[in-house]
Amino acid sequence: MKRMATETSDHHLIAEFKAGSMEAMEKIVERYENQVFTFGLRMCGHVQDAEDIVQETFLNAFRYLDRFREETKLRNWLFKIATRACLRKRRKKKCEPDREISLETFSHKNGSHARYEIPDWSDDPSDNVLRSELKQAIDAAVLSLPTKYRLVFNLRDLEDFNTEETAEILGITSQSVKTRLHRARVFLREKISNHYEERSVQ
Amino acid sequence: MKEDCKKYFERISEYLDGELDDEICREIEAHLKECPECRECLDSLKRTIELCKEAGKETIPSDIHERLRSNLREILNRNLK
Repeated sequence: MKRMATETSDHHLIAEFKAGSMEAMEKIVERYENQVFTFGLRMCGHVQDAEDIVQETFLNAFRYLDRFREETKLRNWLFKIATRACLRKRRKKKCEPDREISLETFSHKNGSHARYEIPDWSDDPSDNVLRSELKQAIDAAVLSLPTKYRLVFNLRDLEDFNTEETAEILGITSQSVKTRLHRARVFLREKISNHYEERSVQ
Repeated sequence: MKEDCKKYFERISEYLDGELDDEICREIEAHLKECPECRECLDSLKRTIELCKEAGKETIPSDIHERLRSNLREILNRNLK
């Protein structure tokens, strides 16, 4: 119900912006800037890049609003634009081609089931130092995911898009979304667990 | 990892996301009852996702929030003229 109300109100704001209202533009930005910024930061790892991505996303969205189809959700459309902005940023930096993640590496660790120590996220303020250190390790692990896996992981697990929406945003099949998501999660579990184990040894 | 475990391991994310049909869910649940290693595998994957979700929360810094508005206003106003 709430989602439906947001969509109605998004379409209303778009109509107001098309009629020349800058206040409507600001209301749209207010609603989605945090999410797009977070996505940019988790894709690129730098605040400056995330700022460029959030600005490019909204600029392109408002410039090409005529291409926005009424039946689409504004949030999904914005993330489609943001994804392209992230990929352009990556190409400019001449990154290496995407690596593949193989499940074999993880399912046959030492020829048996592996044990994974995954810490809990503490909400206790006195754990601030620990939490900040853990956050750094998790951020680094997410950034070390090859781009095509990172995109899927961020959209599915952090932005809560469903499989079909993620497939639509990325222009890939639902099956590819599922495969990449599983591999990304397994990869992250390994990285986080390794970090935690090394830390416990120190 | 046993062949059965490997087969279910490949679908464990879909199981967590509620994307499998009832029959395969029942198969996985029956396997989980018998296999402590796969239960541990499922649990650690679930905790990884929860941890990443918690750590992934960010807020746009106030200076970027302000700059974004003023840049958008300026550029869009120019375009609209």
